[in-house]
Amino acid sequence: MDTAHLVDLLLAVGMVVLALQVVSERAVLRSIILFVVFGLVMALAWTRLQAPDLALAEAAIGAGVTGALMMMAWRRLLIINPDQPADTPRGRSRVAVPVALLAAALVATIGLSALNIDPHANGAGLIALDELTDTSLGNPVTGVLLLFRNLDTLLEMAVLLIALLGARAVSTPAHPNEAAVVETSAPLVGALLAILVPLSILIATHLLLAGTNEPGGAFQAGAVLAAGGVALVLTARLQPGERPGVVTQLAVTAGLLAFVGIGVGIMAFGEKLLVLPGTWAIYVIETAMMVSIGLTLALLFAGAPALVGRPK
Amino acid sequence: MSQILGLAVLFLLLNLVAGIWRVARGPTAADRMLAALLFGSTTVAVLLLMAEWMTMPALRSVALLFVMLAGIVTIAFFGLPAGKDEQ
Repeated sequence: MDTAHLVDLLLAVGMVVLALQVVSERAVLRSIILFVVFGLVMALAWTRLQAPDLALAEAAIGAGVTGALMMMAWRRLLIINPDQPADTPRGRSRVAVPVALLAAALVATIGLSALNIDPHANGAGLIALDELTDTSLGNPVTGVLLLFRNLDTLLEMAVLLIALLGARAVSTPAHPNEAAVVETSAPLVGALLAILVPLSILIATHLLLAGTNEPGGAFQAGAVLAAGGVALVLTARLQPGERPGVVTQLAVTAGLLAFVGIGVGIMAFGEKLLVLPGTWAIYVIETAMMVSIGLTLALLFAGAPALVGRPK
Repeated sequence: MSQILGLAVLFLLLNLVAGIWRVARGPTAADRMLAALLFGSTTVAVLLLMAEWMTMPALRSVALLFVMLAGIVTIAFFGLPAGKDEQ
């Protein structure tokens, strides 16, 4: 057994052990911390599977933003009901073991049958790779997302907007003090933010620009921007607002507007629907999508229709 | 060279296994969180080694991301009421 196999074996066993601990842990905070650790190991597993795009997404959304989101949720539970920490009940449910065994059997069946599948000679992935040489893109994932299957991506942006509207419809706006966790006067917070927030903008821009030729792209970049926004919300530099202004409304819908605008506008020049006219269109759409995704995630995190600066 | 990089990755992963023990054991929430942050740093090292080992330079972007997100998670953890987790 060589080193690569040992590494893969360690990652696989570690993920199963961590996943078991996440779901079986009684104290909620412990589960959350274990979930963050699970996200780290998951990202390593994606890199071993030669899928750096997924590793980026897992790092940004799985380990970072979701971990912070669950800590926020735990804090709000404690605010709502300080006497009774929301621990899971003692002892596990009677259906837990059968469900776990069933799920394990399902995974084993899928895994074993996947081992026996021969790659199709004319599979969609190979055709996409062939077609990619005609475009100026070097990253096949971006090619599929924005050229070959861009209707899916467009609808994903619509789903994100609908999710934001749905969350706004059912939730009452958070009280400004609930979203923030750190006193604005706490020492070192300003210094930490002065590093973190510019860094998030820098990394987001890097991922966006790199996305055409190597792993990266609008979704990962948007999640990184959102992480910077989350840091500002947590430290009360940005506070939940009552009504979204024109800028917020434009930024949240920018991705959808740019995508539909270019995709439909191109029909006036005799092209088919959603045929993008060139690399510049991809850059415009990805930038708009990054802004929309980032702001939407930050708004969902803050549980508010708008974010406003700290009153002086 | 490739063999050395692989062995270094393996060694760091074994360190992670030792870290899981600390996360599980605690005893306070802060201990667990510090262990999780140590996990983050080790993961960054593993990713940087893997970028060379598997010749995938893009993994450095993932490592960069983890460095930034460690700060965000720390802020989110900051100020969680102490004592709720020590049972």
